[in-house]
Amino acid sequence: MPTEAPLWSFEKLSTAFPSDGRVWTLARFADRAHEKFGKEIVTWPDAPPPNLSAVIALGGGTLIDRAKVWRHHESAATKLFAVPSMWGSGAENSPVAVINGAGEKEIFLGAEYLPDARLIWAELAQGASELRRRNACGDTWSHALEGFLSPIASDALREQLASVIRGLLRLGAADDQGWFELSARACAGQAQSSVGLVHGIAHVLEPRLGTGRTALGHAALCRTFAWPVFRYDLGSPKVVGLLKNFGLEVSAIDDVLRGFFDREIYRELQPDLAEHWKKVLRDPCTRTNSVVVRPASLSYFTEEKFDE
Amino acid sequence: MTNREKLRDLLIDVFLLEDDEFDFSLTQEQIETWDSLGTVSMAVGLEEAFGHHMTPEQAVEVESIQGIIDYLTSCGVSFAD
Repeated sequence: MPTEAPLWSFEKLSTAFPSDGRVWTLARFADRAHEKFGKEIVTWPDAPPPNLSAVIALGGGTLIDRAKVWRHHESAATKLFAVPSMWGSGAENSPVAVINGAGEKEIFLGAEYLPDARLIWAELAQGASELRRRNACGDTWSHALEGFLSPIASDALREQLASVIRGLLRLGAADDQGWFELSARACAGQAQSSVGLVHGIAHVLEPRLGTGRTALGHAALCRTFAWPVFRYDLGSPKVVGLLKNFGLEVSAIDDVLRGFFDREIYRELQPDLAEHWKKVLRDPCTRTNSVVVRPASLSYFTEEKFDE
Repeated sequence: MTNREKLRDLLIDVFLLEDDEFDFSLTQEQIETWDSLGTVSMAVGLEEAFGHHMTPEQAVEVESIQGIIDYLTSCGVSFAD
């Protein structure tokens, strides 16, 4: 079963893209997309008509995942090319699609949800705010680490993800091309194993946070909880041993994740975490965490024991 | 805490049971949350609590709480308490 979408150049796409193809994107990218591809634009939340020869899905993880599900369920003959506008979700390189429903996330999994190819247009990220970039980095780290630590990861997969993690440790903040590539590899990797508590928390809280209080997206939630959960997982000698056996420096990873941590947002989310902790425990992602998450584990997070 | 109590507490948490739902005679069929994810979580928890690693093959073969006890006993864990 294919586990990744091939990386294409824009030159290759331009020779392969049929005349009836369209670009499905967000309004803010419409002009640039039309200039780049010269194709008719379909603006989100509208969807393309079915049975086109090809569609380029250009945008964030939400749009790309929606396009993946649309293609499989409504337009199976359409070739799908994914161009992410920001790294982090890795949706362009994953057989997993996450759709936000009313109060819940619906998860689709299978090779049929992989795009036919992906492209990197790094310049799209240049206008993103520093906060959005940090959130995306936190999302990428969560995929790489949780995929590596997953109890169902094979040694071969752990080697791959250890290489991604070493790459992330070396990556400069301004290396957008590098972040896009490592984010794609991290997401493809974790799709072959699983994620863990960071994603369990993010998946449960995101649809339940009201816009009247703190409204945070998936990437921001992953960034916020990455360090506390890493510290929680480090309580297991097995986790520490795994990291060391694959040549990963625990303190270096800890430093990076601590750098992403925002204590103010974290504390603002504590009532939500406590209120929805039972749902977090039951989330499929939580149940494949590298360390068992128990009802009593809530106090570790509410009492900030990760900071001791 | 005895090993029996330790196992009880672990499985209540792993399978998301209430205290009064747990019984050592339960089988996998009787525990709704003992699905594939429950099997993964069980294996992780047993290694954490008792120090013995279960292979995936061993984990899927266990179909009851008594089966878990039998596995741990074969690893040298005593439940004679």
